[in-house]
Amino acid sequence: MEPIIELKNVSKEFKILNRHEGVKGSIKDLFSRDYKIVNAVNDISMTINKGEIIGYLGPNGAGKSTTIKMMTGVLEPSSGEILCNGVIPYKKRSENAQNIGVVFGQRSQLWWALPVVESFKILKDIYQVPDKDYNDMMELYSSIVDMENLLHKPVRQMSLGQRTLCDILAAFIHNPAVVFLDEPTIGLDVAMKAKIRELVKTLNHEKNTTVILTTHDMGDVDALCKRIVIIDKGKMLFDNDIEHLSELFGAYRTLILSLNKKGTKCDEEHMQKLSDDVLSLLSEEFSDTSAFSLSFADDKTEILIDESKTSVVKVLNAVQKKYKIYDMHLQDISTESVIRKIYEGGI
Amino acid sequence: MKRGILYYTRIYFKIIAQDIKSKMSYRADFIISMIGMIATNLAGAVSFWIIFQNFPTVQGWNFYEMIFLYGFSLISATPAQCMFDNNWDLRYKVFSGDFIKYCVRPINIFFYYMSEISDVKGLGQFAFGIASVVFAWIKLELRVSVLSILLFIVAAVSASLFVIAILNVAACTCFWIMNSFFALSLSNTLRDYAKYPITIFNPILRFLFTFIIPIGFMSFYPSQIFLRPENVPIISWFTPVFGIIFFYISYKIWMKGALAYNGTGS
Amino acid sequence: MKLKRCLSLVRASLLDSLQFRGALILTFVGNLFYLLLIYYLWKAIFASSESDIINGMTFSDTMIYLVFASALFNFMEMWIVWGIGRNIQSGQIIVDLLKPIEFRSFVFFSGCGEPIIKFVTTFLPTAIIVYFISGRAIPLGKNLIFFTISVALGMLINFYINFFVATICMYTQSIWGINIMKEVIVGLLSGASVPLAFFPETLRDIVMYLPFQAICNSPLQILLHNEYPVSEVLVILGIQLFWVLFLMIFTDLFFRVSVRRITVNGG
Repeated sequence: MEPIIELKNVSKEFKILNRHEGVKGSIKDLFSRDYKIVNAVNDISMTINKGEIIGYLGPNGAGKSTTIKMMTGVLEPSSGEILCNGVIPYKKRSENAQNIGVVFGQRSQLWWALPVVESFKILKDIYQVPDKDYNDMMELYSSIVDMENLLHKPVRQMSLGQRTLCDILAAFIHNPAVVFLDEPTIGLDVAMKAKIRELVKTLNHEKNTTVILTTHDMGDVDALCKRIVIIDKGKMLFDNDIEHLSELFGAYRTLILSLNKKGTKCDEEHMQKLSDDVLSLLSEEFSDTSAFSLSFADDKTEILIDESKTSVVKVLNAVQKKYKIYDMHLQDISTESVIRKIYEGGI
Repeated sequence: MKRGILYYTRIYFKIIAQDIKSKMSYRADFIISMIGMIATNLAGAVSFWIIFQNFPTVQGWNFYEMIFLYGFSLISATPAQCMFDNNWDLRYKVFSGDFIKYCVRPINIFFYYMSEISDVKGLGQFAFGIASVVFAWIKLELRVSVLSILLFIVAAVSASLFVIAILNVAACTCFWIMNSFFALSLSNTLRDYAKYPITIFNPILRFLFTFIIPIGFMSFYPSQIFLRPENVPIISWFTPVFGIIFFYISYKIWMKGALAYNGTGS
Repeated sequence: MKLKRCLSLVRASLLDSLQFRGALILTFVGNLFYLLLIYYLWKAIFASSESDIINGMTFSDTMIYLVFASALFNFMEMWIVWGIGRNIQSGQIIVDLLKPIEFRSFVFFSGCGEPIIKFVTTFLPTAIIVYFISGRAIPLGKNLIFFTISVALGMLINFYINFFVATICMYTQSIWGINIMKEVIVGLLSGASVPLAFFPETLRDIVMYLPFQAICNSPLQILLHNEYPVSEVLVILGIQLFWVLFLMIFTDLFFRVSVRRITVNGG
């Protein structure tokens, strides 16, 4: 596999004025020299290979945008090295820009008043795309999306979804080696999201373009990314294939049980007592109590089971000895909840 | 892939052509802006007229000479108005973080940004300026020759560089202080004073308005070549050179701001 | 409760304006420049004249008038036309219309922060400096009270004119053209750029019947002429009050009619 972007111990610091609250504080700020240093990105290293779609995740303010700005050459890192396509982005911004495409969700880069096709033509000139390549690309586009409806419509008359779609097409027009998609599906409806995902997937496949995707929608990640990188507070938390994500927690599954007869009053007190009882029952049966943890939701009792330590069947058997199980349900831990756990500091 | 002047010219005209095409769909807007432009300039002329109702001359400059200076200042302000007007929106783009989109294209950021908007309504100002200058030229019985017309064109183009330079610097303050509106409005006020003879100021201000904030070059110095041909100050002849220098400096400051820009908003 | 709501809007806009300290410094410098410019310009104009008093005004009268006019104008300006115009065109105005407070009041109170700051940063210092430089040529007495009332009325008139102009933006895409026309007309006809005393008589007579002179000429007449009998001051205030009421009703009606068009523009 051929590396296309390399980050080595990249950090970025910002100087931020310490703001005070209230009118009095604001007046104080007018004369203040009280700055604090914020580490937006802190010692991040990674290698991204050609043709990969990487999900770059993290809670708001984690430093994702800052990293992307550094990779696109808009920002210079405070320390560390970045190499994008053999070019140092912030030293040769123009040269780097020729090799990349960028889409910022909700911030159209197309000419507002022009029909999309005119924007495409201007971009063709800006990136000096040969006629043949341009025509091939347009042909490819028409085979993926319904271009006839879009091409001659001015951008300002488009819906957000159509605009995002066109922005993505515009980002691929010069066949860049890397495309950055910054929250491309933000604010879109379900159907449009699916369309956008399909488009990105196809373009990545056809052109072997590397895609770096930041998003808060785990649907995007599940649909597109094989590998994900998670950062928080500027630090890298996870960089691996998406399957390995659940291993972070061991192999967990949740067993959801209904232990109440219909009509039983299931208030919080009752459920709490029930799950305490189940827990003591399980503790008697198993020596390793770390293998499961209990919680409840509505009238259901939920048992999170670590399958590396015990099996679901054994737990079921144990519970059955004392309780009648009216209904049961087994759930894999979702990407979303794993990521939420990571954001919340669950690791 | 080298990106030379030909490349930039071609792209510029392509964008402009498209922009004008799309602007044609807002004819009412265009007409109102045009009327606004002419009304503004007319009001400027009227305030001159009011002043000269009470005073025959101002420091030896008569009404027609003042109209010449005024007209010249309008002509020199036209290119800034028509081609560099996007400067006025810079603060919004920087504040909202939208400016980043200009940073990810493989072409010069300044060029790309300025090419986006072209403002045809500046032509109303241009027409008014030309009319004023012609009117004053006839009333003052100045000489007309091929040379004087050529000189006028060079002088006007050079003077316009100063207007653009000041606009650039005023607009790009938003890269550092976020809201550049007051700097822009200050630059507008200053530009407004280009129509007065710089000799009314004391020597310190005259120096300031010549070498630091060069509003003297927007109209007064270059106009001397035509108004007082027998007594042109040497500095008038330096208008083109200084114009290029000031423009270049403003461009450098603007770019420095753009590159230091770190994008508000996430 | 209503007052509290308004005050919190004012507070928010105060805070907002204070965030931009660079801008504040620039405003200050800009004003200084402007004052220097008018000083030298009018000095030159008076130097070219044979008599020291023109149309009843000496050089120092003219200076005091113009300095105050520009300071007044400066602090009254709320720059609301651009804001509202943009909101109308982007559809954001729908959100503002949904707020549980009348739109015009919302605009007024959320635009209040800047004038308040500018009153402190530009108007007061200018007034104090002019007072001492001019050798205490400004009479201090009951005129100060009338002046304050008159400024408040002038500010309202200016606000209503601005609001009227902003409402026009619902009919046209051209915020710029409309705004610049307003600035010029108000600037010239209010006497802020050339004192009304210098206007030719017929023009001055016409201008006195328009609302613009009530923005800044009226308060200045009251401030600079302590010798006016109270009855005359009350007439000036009465005319201002008339314009306030007239514009208040007029802009309200005009806005109500225009707001129906928003549905056409879409959100």
